[in-house]
Amino acid sequence: MQKYSIFNLVKNAFANHQNWDLAWKDPTPKKEYDVVIIGGGGHGLATAYYLAKEHNITNVAIIEKGWIGGGNVGRNTTIIRSNYMHDDNALFSEFGMDLWRKMSQDLNYNVMFSPRGIINLAHSDAQMNVYARRGNSMRLNGIDAVLLNREQVREIIPMADFSENVRFPIFGGLMQPSAGTARHDAVAWGYARQADSMGVDIIQNCEVIGFDISGGKINGVRTSRGDIKAKKIGLCVAGSTNVLAEKLNMTLPIETHLLQACVSEPVKPVLDGVVTFGAGHFYISQSDKGEMVMGGDLDGYNSYAQRGNLPTLQHVLTEGIAMMPFLSKLKMLRTWGGIMDMSMDGSPIIDKTHIEGLYLNCGWCYGGFKATPASGWTFAHTIAQDRVHELNSGYSLNRFNTGHLLDEKGLGTKTWIS
Amino acid sequence: MTQSFRLNDVGLINRDKKISFKFNGVTYYGYEGDTLASALIANGVHLVGRSFKYHRPRGFFGAGVDEPYAIVQLYRNGETEPNIKATEQELFEGLEAKSVNCWPSVNFDVGAINNFLKIFLPAGFYYKTFMWPKSFWYKVYEPFIRKAAGLGVASTKHDKERYEHKYEYCDLLIAGSGPSGLASAYAAAKNGARVILAEDKSRFGGTLLTSDVNIGNQTGKEWADGIISELKEMPNVTVKNRSQVFGYYDHNMLVMSERISDHLPSTKKFHPKQRLWYIRAKEVLISSGSIERPLVFGNNDTPGVMLSSAAKEYLKVYGVLVGKKPLIFTNNDSGYETAIELKKNGVDPIILDTRKDPHSEIIDEAKNLGIEIKFSYVVVAAQGYKKVKSADISKISDDKEQLGTIENIKCDCICVSGFWTPTIHLASQSGNKTQFKEEIDAFIPGESKQNEKTLGAANGIYTLDETLKSSFEVGNEISKKITNKENKVSFPNVVEKKSTVHDKFWCVPLPKGKNYKRFLDFQNDVAVSDIEIALREGYRSIEHVKRYTTLGMATDQGKTSNLNGLQLVSKIENKVVPAVGHTTFRPPYTPVSIGAIVGREIGKHSKPTRKSPMHFWHEKNNAVFVDAGVWLRPRYYKQGNETLFEGSKREAKNVRTNVGVCDVTTLGKIDIKGPDAAELLNRVYTNAWLKLPVGKARYGVMLREDGIVMDDGTTTRISENHYHMTTTTAQAANVLSHLEYYLQLVWPDLNVNVVSSTEQWAGAAIAGPKSRDLLQKLFPNSDVSNEGLPFMGYMEGDLFGVKARIFRISFSGELAYEVNVESDYGNFMWEKIMEIGEEFQIQPYGTEALSTLRIEMGHVAGSELDGRTIPYDNSLEGLLSKKKDFIGKRSLTREAFTAEDRQKVVGVVPLDKKTSIPEGSHLVKDSNAPLPNPKLGYISASCWSVEHDNPFSLAILKNGKNMIGEKLYVMSPLKNKVIPVEIVSSHYVDPKGERVRS
Amino acid sequence: MRSQNEFSYGGDATVKRPDLNKEISDQEWDNFVYNRKSLRGKHWELWQHISGCRQWIKVERDTATHEIFMTLKANEEISL
Repeated sequence: MQKYSIFNLVKNAFANHQNWDLAWKDPTPKKEYDVVIIGGGGHGLATAYYLAKEHNITNVAIIEKGWIGGGNVGRNTTIIRSNYMHDDNALFSEFGMDLWRKMSQDLNYNVMFSPRGIINLAHSDAQMNVYARRGNSMRLNGIDAVLLNREQVREIIPMADFSENVRFPIFGGLMQPSAGTARHDAVAWGYARQADSMGVDIIQNCEVIGFDISGGKINGVRTSRGDIKAKKIGLCVAGSTNVLAEKLNMTLPIETHLLQACVSEPVKPVLDGVVTFGAGHFYISQSDKGEMVMGGDLDGYNSYAQRGNLPTLQHVLTEGIAMMPFLSKLKMLRTWGGIMDMSMDGSPIIDKTHIEGLYLNCGWCYGGFKATPASGWTFAHTIAQDRVHELNSGYSLNRFNTGHLLDEKGLGTKTWIS
Repeated sequence: MTQSFRLNDVGLINRDKKISFKFNGVTYYGYEGDTLASALIANGVHLVGRSFKYHRPRGFFGAGVDEPYAIVQLYRNGETEPNIKATEQELFEGLEAKSVNCWPSVNFDVGAINNFLKIFLPAGFYYKTFMWPKSFWYKVYEPFIRKAAGLGVASTKHDKERYEHKYEYCDLLIAGSGPSGLASAYAAAKNGARVILAEDKSRFGGTLLTSDVNIGNQTGKEWADGIISELKEMPNVTVKNRSQVFGYYDHNMLVMSERISDHLPSTKKFHPKQRLWYIRAKEVLISSGSIERPLVFGNNDTPGVMLSSAAKEYLKVYGVLVGKKPLIFTNNDSGYETAIELKKNGVDPIILDTRKDPHSEIIDEAKNLGIEIKFSYVVVAAQGYKKVKSADISKISDDKEQLGTIENIKCDCICVSGFWTPTIHLASQSGNKTQFKEEIDAFIPGESKQNEKTLGAANGIYTLDETLKSSFEVGNEISKKITNKENKVSFPNVVEKKSTVHDKFWCVPLPKGKNYKRFLDFQNDVAVSDIEIALREGYRSIEHVKRYTTLGMATDQGKTSNLNGLQLVSKIENKVVPAVGHTTFRPPYTPVSIGAIVGREIGKHSKPTRKSPMHFWHEKNNAVFVDAGVWLRPRYYKQGNETLFEGSKREAKNVRTNVGVCDVTTLGKIDIKGPDAAELLNRVYTNAWLKLPVGKARYGVMLREDGIVMDDGTTTRISENHYHMTTTTAQAANVLSHLEYYLQLVWPDLNVNVVSSTEQWAGAAIAGPKSRDLLQKLFPNSDVSNEGLPFMGYMEGDLFGVKARIFRISFSGELAYEVNVESDYGNFMWEKIMEIGEEFQIQPYGTEALSTLRIEMGHVAGSELDGRTIPYDNSLEGLLSKKKDFIGKRSLTREAFTAEDRQKVVGVVPLDKKTSIPEGSHLVKDSNAPLPNPKLGYISASCWSVEHDNPFSLAILKNGKNMIGEKLYVMSPLKNKVIPVEIVSSHYVDPKGERVRS
Repeated sequence: MRSQNEFSYGGDATVKRPDLNKEISDQEWDNFVYNRKSLRGKHWELWQHISGCRQWIKVERDTATHEIFMTLKANEEISL
């Protein structure tokens, strides 16, 4: 594979950029693979990459209905963090943070991971205590966390509302300095390029029509580009999980919901890190291009439409201005919607299923992007070894039956309330 | 400076009103009715900014919303706004603007070094480098990139302007006041329909303002003026200029932003800057017109290269010449219209037409006027850096592959026309699946998805006659169905010049040995070569192309670039354009102020504030308030320089020794009536309710269906079929909805009504050993003795003429009562309690003392009932009925919920009896264990026990049941604290509950 | 037509709560509490007119297009 580097860039510049290789090929599907991954999003591509890299399984196909990276990996607000309270979530995410930190070099693709820090603002002493519970838990799990007082917050984000005319004054915040952002598309493309180079077939415009199951075992998948045999099939289709579950006759603890996000017009750097509002649900960061990237609540009804409505955005931006009044003078440039797998306790599922050879990776709610490497790594392990890794042992499907729930927010099954 | 490019007698500007303005510190003059762009061009200013990536000089490309170049920083009335399109900003006296994205100045910009490095900076270059050494990305490379990126500067000051919202219904919303909008609006209005006609610009009429056409015996503009003034007079019509319909949402909801004050030097008192309209329309007519496409050639981003339609608009509307030696480069007849207008105004343009031998009325007119026309000619490249100085032109072969000899001709501007792209954004946003129309090489709306129709140029109809006819027809037909009235207007005779077909050719090949950048996206610097690289590297889906190259992602959202990008991809990939497909059109059509989207809900008003009827008493008595959801509650009543700790301790102590009063109005209250009320309570609460006598209260816990505790509170049987339920402040709304859900959907057979009465009652909790004595004086005619009003008893009383409800319930573990009166008498009640309580040393107490009291008696509250705990965890398992079923009961059998070492609430005391335990700390066995250190539980609530005068905390601890007496460590790494503690019972005060019953 | 802001969502309307006091399997209970089909296309769901008459209603809506086909009162049965 062609190596990306400054030298190669210069060399190619003098050749008028005519000699760049394909980042990934466009193969015709073979009749059979060792493993088929359904879903060419971040998690699917990462899974294929780690199957090849960590388990030496390269006879792998990724099949994707549309174009790779077209789902939530290309529609998120690019936040990467491990500031979780529950041990299962925290240790899983922190494992992922390590993968993030070396991802650009690992993939030889600049995914622009930047540890610019995340601050969760608190607006009362009670909320400071709730955050302390999470922050202390993080620290005891070996994750960095700092509790900031009002003045410390003001030093970092002086443009937040520290005035008298504020409904919910800022008391302080919980910061994870090592959290950050990355360039979302690059993550998908970087994994795709490396997976492809190790022999994985990336098959786009290939829709799953059905599954071939007999005697409780999976034998293959029927697609719009023909039948493909495989003894192991992994599902990585957050947003469409319920559609495929229906084809498998499964009903899962997941609802499909719509989350909108938007960006402002680009402006010169004004905000370095990620900030979330504590008296509502709003988060913001500034992209390298200068756009303020913003999101908040779900639209709040089951949806597969990648389009939302303005009242939800109005609500989200109202909280935005409440937190940072200067946003008022910026203009909203672009809005979009993503389809979320909302699981019934807010945490994901990475597990085997009752069908032998069928593996499930779903339920990411709106936390899927940050989990991309850890999800791919553990899912690859689960598929390759046919057993869950310790890191994803908490993400079992039957936890809903046993009561070992991982409810970070304590909201229960009303997944649409965020 | 003189307006050397201004003509004397052309245009719609008001020459009687001269306006002065500043650009980059230089004072210029324009006229009322100018835009910043037209005024600058009139003054010969063509260099206004620098491009995003290569920092190439940028001038003006269009004359409106499609403008990719002329982005400025605006200064108005002491405030500044970034990223204003000069082509949209109307001129006002004292306007100041500056160029963005350049340093130190637009004329000499250091960032322009990128222009010389551009061969190293193709699409996606940043994915391939900046990776070594690892730490340099965040520390070195990225800060540099971030500084270079972005356009204007965001002021971090609070926005002083006001924004408003308006909600409106109408029969027809018509977006765009060009010929199709006017005709359809007029026809519909005549039929009596309620019409809203929205126009983005300040002037109505669209292309009628600039076209050389006649309608009836009037010019196009006269006709438009006539229709508009007639519409403005009609009571059923709302006509709005400076109003952009930017979003088409579900169920025919459209949103429009009206710019009310942006064109004025300052916003008038009581006026908003902008108003956002949510419009629910029965029918929507999209008459948004079309945008001219650029032709693509070398250095086609040089200032002075602009759309031919823009040149015509600057001339006809503003009386401004974009150049004195213009070159017109066109693949269709539109370029000729511009040339003819220029010629009529004393300028000699040269037309380069890519077509070989076209014939039409317009071309004939140009020939007759003596305009020089070169057929089968193209501009190969513009020459000049900060302004076009000349053009390299050449003949092109019939197959459009071969260039001839390159000639250089002098010119000061190049007006390009690559035919027209319908503005289909709104139709597409509505869900309409667009279709590709071969004849115009562009997409038009397909079958209507919601109640929308697209008219005129937006629908790919480019002749005025057909546009007017069909628009009259549609306006009439649709409105007639709504109003059942028809008042048909006679259709006027249209005179327009006939044109012939356009040339599908739009991208000029590179001459041998030249490597000119041929730009597609002018703001984001995306050139033909960038698209080629993306495709070469396998980024082949149009979405990949867009994301890899950033084509169409600038502030103009690709209005002039997307279709050319698409055509290029289809050509290289050898696919038809519809097979490539276009990226999704999403709202907003054009960027909208976030302030306008949010409206008035800012600052203190971002969320409602709820106050109890006693709020002003609390205020007067030095209460320090705390937010409890949207309620404001007194946290403590400050005496002198008391801290929160001192004050709350004093208040809590006074409750334990004398008597205190606390405002509990915020508790949720639900009035429950009906013969099946007891049955409802029996099903929603975990304990038994069927035998509660009248005049008695009972504590209850309700679960969610998943077995998790939802809320707790007391419910009192007021009379046979009437109950009064209380909930926590936080869960009040959820509990009501929860009850309604079960009553309406699950058990409709239950004859019960529930209604929120939170706001009807003001509540005061009176607690402490002297509370009965006080109560007796408040209600001298009632028997409030332990026999007359026993623990959990209820009675009605007369509080000096005010009807009151008296509950003997306790949250503090002390003898305590709660008195409710109608809200209007709340303050009266409070003052009476304080007045009469004086002899008992009464003191008001706030939420902090309330917490202390409940913590030390082990009463669980919000921090334990956090949506993750089951009854057992909170030591509430005694309230689980074994005999009956209730909501959530089935879930309690889950393996984790019944585990032997299940977590449980316990008390925690520091071994030194001195060190306060921070809330949110965790309990561990070994404070020196390596990380991750296993956590056994967490501190949910802490206080200074006034009973024992030492710190006390509640914790939810694993295997809590068997941990009493154990010694553990509390750890708060965030606060750098390790505290050795002993686990004790959660009931730290009066464990037998004797006081509440005394 | 009322604004969406006035309503709050209540999830899948076809999920039936098992009768009180009835012996049911774990599977049946989990199907009620947790498992949802949440399909693409027509979807019967509950909404409450929370800032209005507070009635719960049943709405047949398309989850792919957000089109609303039909509404029923709380006490009307859905015929699938």
